[in-house]
Amino acid sequence: MMGETQQLLRETADRLFRDLAEERTLDFVRLWQKLDETGFRSLLVAEADGGFGGNFRDVAAVLRLAGQHALAAPLAEAMIATYLLHKAGWPVSDDLVTLAAGSEGRLEGNLFSGTLRAVPWGERAGLVLAEVEGGLILLPRDKATQVTTTANPAGEPRTRLVFANVPALVAPATGDLLLLGAFSRSCLIAGALDGALARSIEYANSRVQFGKPIGKFQAVQQALAVFAEEAAAVNCAAEAAALALDRGDGRFEVACAKIRASSAAAMGVATAHQVHGAIGFTAELGLHHLTRRLTSWSGEFGNERWWAEELGGLVAALGADQLWPEITRRG
Amino acid sequence: MQSFSIFPFEPPGDVQALRQEVRAFIAAHMPQTAAAGRANCWSVADARFSRSMGEAGYIGMVWPKCYGGHARHPLERYTVLEELLAAGAPVAMHWVADRQSGPLILRYGSEELRQRIVPGIARGETYFCIGMSEPGTGSDLASVRTQGVRTKEGWRINGQKVWTSGAHYSQYMIALVRTGEGSERHGGLTQFLIDMSSPGITVRPILDLVGAHHFNEVFLDDVLVPDSMRLGEEGGGWAQVTAELSLERSGPERYLSSYVLLVEFIRQAGPAPDAATRALIGQFTAELWTLRQMSRSTAAKLAAGQDPMLEAAVVKDLGNSFEQSLPRRILAGIGGLADLSDASELMSVLALLLQISPSFSLRGGTREILRGIIARGLGLR
Repeated sequence: MMGETQQLLRETADRLFRDLAEERTLDFVRLWQKLDETGFRSLLVAEADGGFGGNFRDVAAVLRLAGQHALAAPLAEAMIATYLLHKAGWPVSDDLVTLAAGSEGRLEGNLFSGTLRAVPWGERAGLVLAEVEGGLILLPRDKATQVTTTANPAGEPRTRLVFANVPALVAPATGDLLLLGAFSRSCLIAGALDGALARSIEYANSRVQFGKPIGKFQAVQQALAVFAEEAAAVNCAAEAAALALDRGDGRFEVACAKIRASSAAAMGVATAHQVHGAIGFTAELGLHHLTRRLTSWSGEFGNERWWAEELGGLVAALGADQLWPEITRRG
Repeated sequence: MQSFSIFPFEPPGDVQALRQEVRAFIAAHMPQTAAAGRANCWSVADARFSRSMGEAGYIGMVWPKCYGGHARHPLERYTVLEELLAAGAPVAMHWVADRQSGPLILRYGSEELRQRIVPGIARGETYFCIGMSEPGTGSDLASVRTQGVRTKEGWRINGQKVWTSGAHYSQYMIALVRTGEGSERHGGLTQFLIDMSSPGITVRPILDLVGAHHFNEVFLDDVLVPDSMRLGEEGGGWAQVTAELSLERSGPERYLSSYVLLVEFIRQAGPAPDAATRALIGQFTAELWTLRQMSRSTAAKLAAGQDPMLEAAVVKDLGNSFEQSLPRRILAGIGGLADLSDASELMSVLALLLQISPSFSLRGGTREILRGIIARGLGLR
């Protein structure tokens, strides 16, 4: 994609996500229709195959904006699933396709029996992509024998799907699903932190106590400075992870980004609410659209601890004297 | 609004080859020391190592060749520095001169000064200290009281500087002096290059809390300085030092001071540690990697002629917090029976860093000052 197209993509995303944030009561079917008209889900699909021909940096930019506007839709999931479907050489339909963050079960031949957990908007999806022991599988959602939808802390639907001997499309497992899921959450967190930071600064400059805006107090300034540092770190980490994925191997970088993003999310939630005081706690103000998503996203597709153990295991296996060469080799 | 975006770090030439070259240099020239001797290595002075760095062309890398420099790209210099710091090389002797004094002389000094002084810095033979802090002047740098009065030949300087690292081995100081009679705050300040062998200069050591000698107090009693040693315009000192301070903020030294401890911790953990240790190593790695990305991006912005003052403050505060927290978190990771009097590599470097790491968020601008700068950038002040 050329620079101009990228700029256009960002502007379109920004405008659309902003509009959708003002229409939170919009029915999901309508909302998804509006989103899907943009073709964002095929952002990573080559132009020759009818996609945008974008790269992971473009994905990062769009998801950052989705996070900043607290988008309530499985856009990241659809983008990643569509990319993985293409990679596997499977047909793509107009149905909503989503990802299973967790799964257990067994694959016998192409027959899957087991449970897919915490599937974002699973009830609305036509297809679900999951990585199970033995492979990447694509399942038709309507073949699930049990469908139980609960909500994540942000109130977004997460569905548990139980399958018994259901024929699936099967491709070799690569670990990409979890990796790209974690990448998507890092980008969303980056945007949501910037969004919550901007709102907090605005509030601190307008809320007057003791005769002056609370942002004039050093205690508040220092807290917001730390918040800004954390937001900066996550934005940098997410973008650097995107660059690594574009170079072809982002396993190390995505782990770093998700760890950094998850820890910063917790800090950002706490500071945003501390600065806003009681009003930030109301349903009406809407700060919670960001902060509850930050809480949710920090745990999804592997929380801080999960990725830290992964990455730490990798680093320990490399050996103490290989950490620096590894970090510098990767760019 | 986006709080931080990446700027591509693209030095000319083959960066990996440059890294290999620096690693070979380190292997050949760095003295063998225990891990504790490699911690916080930009405070470890070694004149012989500095001279060999000069010979190798690693000091004054970006300066013009006519002043003994090597006309390399700033990001090549960055690459060399991060290799040296990660290895724990003793670079303190020439650090200040290479990082800020040389550039300041090249920018504000007369041609005669440049010719006379800069080549010695690049050879790793001429060292500098910074004369900013005074007994009444710490974070509030604009309260400087050391006074310069015009004489027929130049200037007579009286006053006292303190916390002057390396004053006892530096041939020169660059001092911030009040020259405007009756001036206050940011006005009337001028920078001077002062020959430390001048009559009237007394250097007294101040030992730090582990008994090491880095700091000094420097007394200036009727020190005569020729006008040719003035750096920049009379009264232009404030603008010069603020630019100088932001240059020194975002470098790799701001997050790597405890790196050797992390290496020893990973060594001790072995190839297949328990889950809690793996998690700790993973967290440290993620923070380190992120800081490096941020520091490199900021360096690349600087190299491209931008002024990333806010990013630099962010990198320094986050970097200092990381290198400062590492000892405490590693101690917690080792567990309740950790013996800090143990002479092993890990425990002795840990014990040292537990003691000296509080200084990491003081030097070069305290945490509170940096956060104030960031708050201003956010539109809160």
